[in-house]
Amino acid sequence: MTAMELIKIILGGLANVFLVLLLAPFFEGILRKLTARIQSRQGPPLWQPYYDLLKLLGKEDLEAGESPLMQRGAACLALGSVLTVAWLVPMGFAPPLNAGGDIVLLIYLLGLCAIATLLAGLAAGSTYSLMGISREMMAVITLEPLLVVALVVGATHAGSLRLDRVLDGSVYGASGIPWSGLIMLAVMLLSFQAFVQRVPFDTAEAETEIMEGPVMEYSGPKLALLKYARMAKLVIYSGLLVALFLPWGSALPFPLGLAAFWLKVFGLVLLVTLVAATHARYRIDQALRYYAALLGVAFLALVLAVNGY
Amino acid sequence: MKRLKDNFGEAIQRVDLPDDGRLYLFVAPASLKEICRFIFRDLDARYIISIGADDRPISGKFLVAHNFAFDREGLLASVLAYLAGEKPTVDSITDAVPAANWAEREFRDLVGIEPRGHRYPKRLVLPDGWPEGAHPLRKDVPWNYCPPDFKADQEFTFDDPPEGCVVVPFGPFHPTLDEPAHFRLYVEGEMVRGCEYRGFMAHRGIEKLGESVLTYNDIPMMAERICGICGCVHNVAYAQAVENAAAIAPPPRAEIIRTIMLEIERLHSHLLWVGLACHIVGFDTLFMQSFRIREPIMRFAEKITGNRKTYALCLIGGVRWDFNPELMSELRAVLGRLEEEWRAVADAVGRDRNLQKRTRGVGVTTPQLVKEAGLIGPVARAAGVDIDCRRDHPYAAYDRVEFKVIVEKDGDVWSRIVVRLMEVFESIHIIRQCLEKIEDGPIQAAITDELPPGRMGMSSVEAPRGESHHFVITGEQNRPRRWRVRAPTYQNLQGIPAMIKDQQLADMTISLGSIDPCFSCTDRIETVDLRSGRTRVYTQEELIKSRRTGLINANQKK
Repeated sequence: MTAMELIKIILGGLANVFLVLLLAPFFEGILRKLTARIQSRQGPPLWQPYYDLLKLLGKEDLEAGESPLMQRGAACLALGSVLTVAWLVPMGFAPPLNAGGDIVLLIYLLGLCAIATLLAGLAAGSTYSLMGISREMMAVITLEPLLVVALVVGATHAGSLRLDRVLDGSVYGASGIPWSGLIMLAVMLLSFQAFVQRVPFDTAEAETEIMEGPVMEYSGPKLALLKYARMAKLVIYSGLLVALFLPWGSALPFPLGLAAFWLKVFGLVLLVTLVAATHARYRIDQALRYYAALLGVAFLALVLAVNGY
Repeated sequence: MKRLKDNFGEAIQRVDLPDDGRLYLFVAPASLKEICRFIFRDLDARYIISIGADDRPISGKFLVAHNFAFDREGLLASVLAYLAGEKPTVDSITDAVPAANWAEREFRDLVGIEPRGHRYPKRLVLPDGWPEGAHPLRKDVPWNYCPPDFKADQEFTFDDPPEGCVVVPFGPFHPTLDEPAHFRLYVEGEMVRGCEYRGFMAHRGIEKLGESVLTYNDIPMMAERICGICGCVHNVAYAQAVENAAAIAPPPRAEIIRTIMLEIERLHSHLLWVGLACHIVGFDTLFMQSFRIREPIMRFAEKITGNRKTYALCLIGGVRWDFNPELMSELRAVLGRLEEEWRAVADAVGRDRNLQKRTRGVGVTTPQLVKEAGLIGPVARAAGVDIDCRRDHPYAAYDRVEFKVIVEKDGDVWSRIVVRLMEVFESIHIIRQCLEKIEDGPIQAAITDELPPGRMGMSSVEAPRGESHHFVITGEQNRPRRWRVRAPTYQNLQGIPAMIKDQQLADMTISLGSIDPCFSCTDRIETVDLRSGRTRVYTQEELIKSRRTGLINANQKK
């Protein structure tokens, strides 16, 4: 590897991280504004999430939980792991860390994001946090396999574990559109709300039941990091979904491809908002049953994919 | 009545039947329990409330009353017994009438009448630091009395949780409880196995003030402030109880205006509740929409009374606000718009499978629980128990209008949603009829004589949450001798432990929310300084201190 290539990887990675950090609060702002409009409210200005984060970051760093050190670590890990994933996801151009990792690393890093939330709740150690993480854990155990199946279906069709080949609409294979790809697209769209932890699948935070669950003991800068991670997650998962299932237009020359990518992400955010604004929260057992059904369908798709359909 | 006489001829000392709808039965203390059992079980009456009163200045005795309602016969009955002695005791009726659990503990705490053989004789109202033998509602205790040996920082002693359960505190401050109340939930995994309730944290001594400081026409102002949502109900119920005691008839126009304002209050309360219920299950869009739809009602109320809430409607014998033709046509317009928009909401909710999934089969009450715990209002009607004070014990102008009593069968949260959604249309219907029937005339009866002392009056008003019952004994110095308020939540809250047992923790908030709890109604009497945190109890001083140091540390844990 030449120095030139190394610099290119680092610059590309930093560009992705920068883009995610810059745009995540903006998408959150759109989400909030649109929700307000649906609810006949004026809504906050689009920039409000930026202000919120800045304000939280500027606050005193209180230590209110069982193990302050671990809490600080968990908050950093939450945002850090999401931003690391940003190095592996194509955002309008090939994933920067293409040579350094494959989809197995991607799966592990996504797992780490979830673990960061669990750690945050566990370290806070209050009753409500613990209930929150027990719900989160149940959700993660049934949800993560869905994403893994989607990636493996893609890898099967692409015949490779390389990021740039899998994360390029690979579920549809090279020739024609296989059944497994369509099924996985449906499954992922149906479960997307759960991946980004919005209503009706925000059981782990459920303000009116367990008062934000894992994050209830957090305030100030730590809360800012956790909130930022949640906003970034929306962007990252949208990016992943776009890369896996909606590759059309990404191959366009530089500015157009980039624009097409972010337009599609924007569309997904709108979808998430609409679903969140028109649903009531599911109970954890109802949510789990829903995920389990999707998982069954996903495995069917995997079997089809292995057999070349 | 005749059967009562046949069975307990000896024990019944006196019977008062002042009018068709009221019955006062003075009985010997020894047979009080058996008579109550007979009325509750054999005559199938509904338990309303128990009242303790200090009648020593007049008769030298204490007074206990158990009130029952015969809903089909349209009769409110009170079974009274005089008790002698400085430390009076009376047989507890909780064996026969489980719903009397709280009411008996309350008169034990406040009046010092000991219910013998009570099933669960724990303190209810008074804080644990309050010394034995000081009873605030006794006549020789001034309204601002605080015993010198009151320990404000005494902790509340909780029961032990059952084996294998974790305690999850729910309250005193919780985002979905807008008022302080504390449930200790015994949770196994995600399942709630039981709970202990500790309320009465925001007592304001309203009844005591009414009996010692205010006068007849001051009290409606105070009664209204019992509740921030259904204040007008208490206001009307108090005025009617006094009118009932003193046999005053308010003029027809005043009765129509009372009916209209009560229904306006029901409209805004039900709209508010549907919004809050949706918020609790995470459906914020409908929460915001129902508040938007509710807003014109609030503005209209402000136009008539000067206030969005707290209408200050009643005086004894009449009302203070009148309608003019412009207001009436504006009200018609507001109702038209409301009906149209609410129709759309009701249709949308009726088709929403997602919402039904969260609320069907949740927080179920059976007709049997309704009977045993004395549940009322939409909670009872959703369980198929067809009671509604507006029809059963008509007051104001309800005997002159037609309306349906909405009854559902399943007894779950969903049924309660349906009942409240549909009652909105009935309220609109009632107000429209009132606007047709309103006649010219005075709005206040002329009262020339002083109200006679020693008379008793009862009034049940159907609040949005259920029956609100006021009991008054008229007294000297232009104020009642005893005034007892039973808000609907007082009984409905006692049904909660049975409703949430063996269901998921996530259903706790909506189950509790579905009775439309109003803690300020329930907690009327004293001041308590108990703030409990997680597994520890912070005292007030600790909290003030920790606020100053800026931290509540984990190491403060006990």
